[in-house]
Amino acid sequence: MKQRILSAALAAAFLAAPAAALAQDTDLAKRVEQLAAELEKVKAELAAQRAQAAAAPAQPVQAAQPVQPAVTAPAAAAAAAPAAALASDTVFSGYGEVNYNHPVRNASGAQTDLRRAVIGIQHRFDEKTKVVAEFEWEHAIASAEDSGESAIEQMYVEREFNNGLRGKAGLFLMPVGLLNQNHEPTAYYGVERNFVETAIIPTTWREAGIGLSGEFGDGFTWDTGLTTGFDLTKWDPASGEGRESPLGAIHQEGQLAKSRNLAVHGALNWRGVPGLLVGGSVFTGEAGHKTPDFAGNDARVTMAELHTRYTPGAWDLSALWAYGRISNTEALNATFVGNPTPVPSSFAGWYLQAAYKLWQNADYALTPFARFESFNTARTYAQVPAGLGVPTAPYERVGTVGANLMIGQGVVLKADYQKFREDKTLDRVNLGVGFAY
Amino acid sequence: MSHPSSRRAALLLGILISAALAACGGGGDGGPAPATSTDAVETSFSPSAALGAKIYSDVSLSASGRQSCATCHSPDNAHGPTNDFAVQLGGPNGDVPGFRASPSLRYMQRTPAFHFEADGTPVGGFDRDGRARTLEEQAERPFVAPHEMANASKADVVAKLKQAAYAAQFRATFGDNIFDNVDQAFNRATFALQQFENEDPRFHPFDSKYDAFLAGKAKLADAELRGLALFNDPNKGNCAACHTSARGADGSAPLFTDFSYDNLGVPRNARIPATLDAAYFDLGLCGPDRTDLAARTDLCGAFKVPTLRNVATRKVFFHNGAFTNLTDVVRFYVTRDTNPERWYPLNADGTVDKFNDLPPAMRKNVNTTEVPYNRQPGMAPALDEAEIADLVQFLGTLTDGYRP
Repeated sequence: MKQRILSAALAAAFLAAPAAALAQDTDLAKRVEQLAAELEKVKAELAAQRAQAAAAPAQPVQAAQPVQPAVTAPAAAAAAAPAAALASDTVFSGYGEVNYNHPVRNASGAQTDLRRAVIGIQHRFDEKTKVVAEFEWEHAIASAEDSGESAIEQMYVEREFNNGLRGKAGLFLMPVGLLNQNHEPTAYYGVERNFVETAIIPTTWREAGIGLSGEFGDGFTWDTGLTTGFDLTKWDPASGEGRESPLGAIHQEGQLAKSRNLAVHGALNWRGVPGLLVGGSVFTGEAGHKTPDFAGNDARVTMAELHTRYTPGAWDLSALWAYGRISNTEALNATFVGNPTPVPSSFAGWYLQAAYKLWQNADYALTPFARFESFNTARTYAQVPAGLGVPTAPYERVGTVGANLMIGQGVVLKADYQKFREDKTLDRVNLGVGFAY
Repeated sequence: MSHPSSRRAALLLGILISAALAACGGGGDGGPAPATSTDAVETSFSPSAALGAKIYSDVSLSASGRQSCATCHSPDNAHGPTNDFAVQLGGPNGDVPGFRASPSLRYMQRTPAFHFEADGTPVGGFDRDGRARTLEEQAERPFVAPHEMANASKADVVAKLKQAAYAAQFRATFGDNIFDNVDQAFNRATFALQQFENEDPRFHPFDSKYDAFLAGKAKLADAELRGLALFNDPNKGNCAACHTSARGADGSAPLFTDFSYDNLGVPRNARIPATLDAAYFDLGLCGPDRTDLAARTDLCGAFKVPTLRNVATRKVFFHNGAFTNLTDVVRFYVTRDTNPERWYPLNADGTVDKFNDLPPAMRKNVNTTEVPYNRQPGMAPALDEAEIADLVQFLGTLTDGYRP
């Protein structure tokens, strides 16, 4: 019932938003003018600096970053930061978060975790060529005896061509959904990343390979690429990992990634109306890698999603739908009979989210939000002989209400409450602090 | 006038030839693919392994002149015994009974040396109590054990080696003076046996029906598949908890053992003559054969988890050969705790003398917590008779030599 009310409220928010948008049109126009003025100023500064350092062409690197959609908070943060930054070819960035989870029905399960600390290094070789790298530690301590992990989240070189196309090669984040390429704690609502974009889309999902991006005009941008894909030989039917996130259990993350089968992806986004983003992506690739004596060599992983985000005035509304498929798993799943976690043939989820900037002054901005998610990591299984299959999972439905309190542009305090319809033992209160610069 | 390109070609040819020659001499750890004929297999052996093959089946190396490794570990029966004796006979006249059932020697090559894991779990090692660190070390004992090949000493074995038809080959491989040093010669013989076991694919052919099924090249019959599900299911057979049925993280084929130890409380076997002495107990890890863990009384009664590959070819089961029928073995697992009277004798007062092959003080060591042992009399067994039959059908798919 509560979820129904929440869904209704979210739907109402979506419907009501345009009205609010109209009311704030004047406000928006003012802001556009302000931004245009600032842009002129930056351009002038840039020209001055170029003249100054003609021999060694240094420039404020941040200003030359690919323009983020105006809808994202971190993009605003990134745009604000460079004014203070020294003009340099090499720029450091970082983000991190510390979270506290308190299951309301199981106080002993309360946990505090330095979820992640990330250092980003971007170096610009020239106006059109750069390398981007992100180094991440999760769970505070990484060693043989500890739970932490150390990972390279992305490392790629990118070159902009004269025709406006941008090519990249290396390990990069897949252009999928709203969160994957934009996963700093200041960029999303709620202490924890949403379930659909972690359990169904394995954020932060990166692959090694080559990519190409460009624009069609009229606000359309596109991405495509040829990359590594998933490795189904990693599936462990005895553990619950595959139930938590089917693709998270078989991702390769550029770690000695099997590459007999490569995958292709394509993404299309439209930002034709200020404050509105509509997009979608498709990824597909085989996941068996012709492994000798493996029963799942014909399996193919396909992921498709649609997303939208609309930020009229103080509103920040988003919606996303994602669907994943792993085909040809009959023979492999037969070898897993009796185990709790065979390979699902499909998994899917969607969410609606509404946030409203309730109050803000020079230093603080308070944005309450509500999100409703529905997702299923084991929606269907390929057929096995009668009596030997495991039941498909029910859709888990999670309602989240809470607020983000931004402090300045780079620090965020978060608090929320999450209610689970299926597994009520998971209901929890979350608190978090995060930053990004 | 030089011709760089032809010179490069000559160099390349040279490299290719030497690579080919190296491959011929090869026989590394990777193991050649299963071959169709003995000769084809043996030509790929390293010199040590070729010698090991001869030593393995040389009956002249025993006191009786009638016993070799192959006698109790016959290539014709999955490198295990061919008879249904609880323990094999050895000694100078071939009439001295042993103390433990002879295991199959197949699929030993990935066994790690004995050690304790970080959480204290004992793992690995050869022999049923893990006391030999390597196959080479394992091969030492039978030559001189009084109930096995019963040679008086290592010198006795080396003297016989010197007389063997392959003595010249032994010298050619290990040096002309190898027989001058008894310990060295003996060690080379056991090393040769180890190399033979590692290199001969017949010790680890991975060609069972289950292997073909894992590779997507064969389908299991319905009963076999149901049996596999029961084998894996943590709430039913839970067999896979120790007898690993899934590939390793590196894709390696499952060996159906995790190399750990367990205390199953197997009934005492009166067919072992040593049990006539009421004070005799074979306690596995804590003795009497193994001596370094005698103080670890919590480990008394624990024996190594054997591979289940080729289990259907066995004629006796468990460390003491107490069972002679695979279906009974599965029945024992699931009814040991629900119907102990089926497996153990009664005391004078009518109670069941459960775990009667352990001294009373050690009986608490028996695993009674994991599925399917976690039950009491009156409860339903983890598997019913039809399920037991399915499980046995599945175990039959683990026999080497499946030809679709």
